[in-house]
Amino acid sequence: MRAFLARNRLILLAYLGMLLLLLITALFSPGFLSASNLRSTVVLAAFVGIVALGQTFVIIGGGIDLSVPWVLNSAAVVMALLCAGQNMPLLWVAPLMLAGGALVGFINGLGVAQFGVPPIIMTLAANVILQGLILVLTGGSPSPTAPDLIKFLSVGRVGGIPVIALIWLALALVATVLLSKAAFGRHLYALGSSPTVAEFSGVPTARTTVLTYVISGLTASLAGMLLTGYSGQAYLGMGDSYLFTSVAAVAIGGASILGGSGHYLGTVAGALVLTILTGLLPALNLSSGALLVVYGAVILVTVSIGSEAFAGLGSSLWNRKSREA
Amino acid sequence: MDLIIANSLSKRFGGIVALDRVEFSARAGEVHALLGENGAGKSTFIQILSGALRHDDGAILLDGQDYRPADPDAARARGIAAVFQELSLIPDLTVEQNIWFRQEPLTSFGTANRSEIRRRTLELFAKYHFPTLRPDLEVSRLSLAERQIVEIAKALAKQPRVLILDEATSALPAREAEWLLRLTRQLAAQGLLVIFISHRMAEVRAVADRLTIFRNGRTIAMHESSAVGDAEIVSQMIGRNLGRLYPERISTATGRVALKVSSFSSGNRLKNVEFDLLEGEVLGVGGLQGHGQRELFQALFGASKATGSIELWGKPAAISSPRAALTGRDGIALVPEDRRGQGLLLAKSVRENLTLAVIRRFTENGLLNGRKEAALVGEMVDFLRIKTRTPEQLAGTLSGGNQQKVIFGKMLLTEARVLLLYDPTRGVDVGTKGEIFQLMRDLAAKGYAILFHSSDMEELVHVADRVLVMRNGRVAATLAGERISEEGILSAAILESEAA
Amino acid sequence: MSVTIEQAQAGIESRSGADWRGWVLDRAPFVVACIMLAVIIAIYGSYQSGVFTLDELNLDTAAAMTLMLAGTGQTIVLMRGGIDLSIGGMISLGTVIAATRFTDDPGTVLLWSSAILALGLGIGALNGLLISLLKLQPFLVTLATWSILGGVAMIILPTDGGSVPGWWLGFGYLELLGLSSPVWMLLGLLLFWWWFRSTRIGITIQATGSNEKSAFLSGVSITRVNVLTYGLSGLFAAGAALYLTTQTGAGSPTIGKDYILPSVAAAVIGGVSLFGGRGHLAGTLIGAFILTLIGNLVFVLKVSSYWQPVASGVILLLSVLASSIAEKAARGRGA
Repeated sequence: MRAFLARNRLILLAYLGMLLLLLITALFSPGFLSASNLRSTVVLAAFVGIVALGQTFVIIGGGIDLSVPWVLNSAAVVMALLCAGQNMPLLWVAPLMLAGGALVGFINGLGVAQFGVPPIIMTLAANVILQGLILVLTGGSPSPTAPDLIKFLSVGRVGGIPVIALIWLALALVATVLLSKAAFGRHLYALGSSPTVAEFSGVPTARTTVLTYVISGLTASLAGMLLTGYSGQAYLGMGDSYLFTSVAAVAIGGASILGGSGHYLGTVAGALVLTILTGLLPALNLSSGALLVVYGAVILVTVSIGSEAFAGLGSSLWNRKSREA
Repeated sequence: MDLIIANSLSKRFGGIVALDRVEFSARAGEVHALLGENGAGKSTFIQILSGALRHDDGAILLDGQDYRPADPDAARARGIAAVFQELSLIPDLTVEQNIWFRQEPLTSFGTANRSEIRRRTLELFAKYHFPTLRPDLEVSRLSLAERQIVEIAKALAKQPRVLILDEATSALPAREAEWLLRLTRQLAAQGLLVIFISHRMAEVRAVADRLTIFRNGRTIAMHESSAVGDAEIVSQMIGRNLGRLYPERISTATGRVALKVSSFSSGNRLKNVEFDLLEGEVLGVGGLQGHGQRELFQALFGASKATGSIELWGKPAAISSPRAALTGRDGIALVPEDRRGQGLLLAKSVRENLTLAVIRRFTENGLLNGRKEAALVGEMVDFLRIKTRTPEQLAGTLSGGNQQKVIFGKMLLTEARVLLLYDPTRGVDVGTKGEIFQLMRDLAAKGYAILFHSSDMEELVHVADRVLVMRNGRVAATLAGERISEEGILSAAILESEAA
Repeated sequence: MSVTIEQAQAGIESRSGADWRGWVLDRAPFVVACIMLAVIIAIYGSYQSGVFTLDELNLDTAAAMTLMLAGTGQTIVLMRGGIDLSIGGMISLGTVIAATRFTDDPGTVLLWSSAILALGLGIGALNGLLISLLKLQPFLVTLATWSILGGVAMIILPTDGGSVPGWWLGFGYLELLGLSSPVWMLLGLLLFWWWFRSTRIGITIQATGSNEKSAFLSGVSITRVNVLTYGLSGLFAAGAALYLTTQTGAGSPTIGKDYILPSVAAAVIGGVSLFGGRGHLAGTLIGAFILTLIGNLVFVLKVSSYWQPVASGVILLLSVLASSIAEKAARGRGA
């Protein structure tokens, strides 16, 4: 038990922080803990969480994916265009969009693993190229409204529970299985911890790297389609904020940006923290500027806790605490 | 009055005593050689002199004054400059920028004065007859030998009173090595003290006025170079190390060839290596450090490129990557040199490390069977007697010996029966060393074929059935039976006359 | 054996053919960038008259100068082997401070301009300090400070607006010897770089980016290098903000983010290595020109302006691929 606590210290801290935030929010704005408010918080967090799923895999593997904004946006726009508000085309459009996201991820991964292009540059280039292509495709004008099915998936409810929360839960389950219960997860953590040791242990490092970017492409395009349902239609720039929030959610969730550690369960807490903060600040009468300041401060504080400089201090405090307990 | 005097100098790393009341003295104007086997304490000693390490006990007097530099800068300020094997050059700066780094002559605009730097560089090169070297080339484009020469120039640019050369000739081709020997004499003639470390006996003989011999962290003797013979030096370097337990060597080699290596070459570090490794055999690979042992092990494991052919159990094998080497029973496994950089995930558990190479074996329908994994991990922990509180303990928190056992376990789990062991006992306590040797003999008896490199010759002598001695990337000699002795290995590795 | 200084000098001046090849390979990304710029200008010139005039140079430089200033800071950071995302926040903050505090009084403008520059220097130094003391990744630290600075900008001025004095807006149109002030700034930047990279500080920053361990072994204080590096980056970002207000005449709390990744892209296109130690500001400036001129090109080719990001992404990829191929070739040659 103690070993479990020590190993997952950062993830637990993220949840602790989240609960604390909820408490503070409830104090300042008593209505916040209402069912409807919690529901909308979870719905908003789900979009961040889904995008950040792929980002988590990429970052654990030692990379970073800056292409999520426009992979997300592309899937949203193209889906809306192809479906033209109808449900039936989704049957082939949705798989196509996912395949497209996976393809972008595949190309990103190939550039990084095979050609040695730094992840930042590779995914940045993919992002601007997609941005341009989508602008060309749409001519800058907004797309038709989203199909009803997509709307149902993103804002609908089943027995009072938002459908998207269920989707998120299912994805979190899959991610957890992949990270904790599959050979792929072991390979991924090894790759992110030390590419050389992984290579010397026979881990298929190139394949594992490519897979992380493919997963990121998949989740970004899924999030894009769902987000279309939330906002009613696809619009240009709808993915822009998700670069920052996906990386921030992963960092707040306790993963090292250098790779090799972290877990999607931490990222889930990170996504919730970011979303609750968004809800908290209006309650405190703070502007969106203040929100950004708080975001930055939260990232700095959480990554400091995880840093080497604090690792010794943190674990010695932890040990002392658990001895006293 | 001697320039440097060390009195009863001691240094410990954790529980390991690296220097044990070492005595040393050397005077200005001489070339003083420091001799000893790998691990005798030479490099610890010169790291203390050059400010990279601080001693625990004893005292050093420089010019009669206490000398205890806080860092390399402080040592340089007192006139001591060292040329280490591990280079400190900046790859993207030019030769001359490196030589004068942080002490550039400046123009009145505060910029480095290029023409003055060039003038001083050429002056330095001319004064010491440096081999031709373009001062305006980036260091990243130089060969290892050229970098070594730049490192020497960088040390001389500080106008030291004491110059320490640690194996400075080992990276140099013959002509440049000769130049360096002339240079050391020239410097001594100018009144400098040159502390000269080399494994090449002929070189030591050529330049040293006096020599001090270290063994097991102690000073064994100091001689006038002219007054002592090779045989005496070698025997004092080796000494008689008692009290270590080696398992009884019962040859279990069969006639079956497990690994056949022919015309195996890699760059210019490995030239046309050929040998057979038999089933049930422990084949030692010896020689001085840096003569191709590392390249041989890496290339056999697919971690670096090589040409030539490899046969495993009679079948040709194409090993292009470690992944291709680790193919189960007919594969090759490596216990690598760099335990922390190549062998272990320090921040992961013993369990995760042990099963990393074979994790797929525990999956059923894509899911890991934790119980099956835990059972095998438990077996391996027991079999190797890995001292860990639980298999969940982080590998980085284990002792060196137990870390090494985890790497052994990881490779044994792959079931590969050809094992490459690169210096598996380095930094391992004596007790665990004994266990590792016993394990090697046990595995050999079970039909494993083991290629074993150690930087400690004594280990090769007591554990290996045969020993390949490497020199300049080639197999210089293959020793068997009675001929396996430290003298035999050292002779084949050092003394050029026996090269043929 | 003995070689005189003159003989040695003579040997140095006669580069052999192989040396030239190595020299070119080492600078392949920069050469590729120059070729790309030449091609873009050639196409541009063949569709549009008056491309090869001083007026055009003045206009294009004015358009590219914000990116060039931001790119100068980023180049210094990249040379150190780091990355600075916080310049986005700093640029936004600089513009909103200027747009809300500047008055017609030159004294006030001077005061607040100095304050903005000092703020950039200070915030940047703080970045460097946080990276060193907390042992954190530059990416995360500057991501956080980007958010904080952007937030502060938004608190000061929630939406685009504010104003600067009219005479301040005229800055970009000042001319001397037919060259506008941005062109003179461009020359100033080159002069600065030519000076800076030969100073001890410049050499030390480059050396630390090239090999941190070797630099440390040679006695370099890594903390000091980080403080200086990120401090300079912040200073240039503040300069970019001030320049930007002479172009837009207003402050914007969100405009800075448009310069973060383009500044990295401009440097990488110009041959600055993301791994530190290699590069030249001239490359970054050419990269900034390329990214700016693509816009003109798209315009004269009469294709949708939306092709602009596609083109810049492709150019970015081509540049890194060129440098990775050249690196492989150079390594193959060395072995």
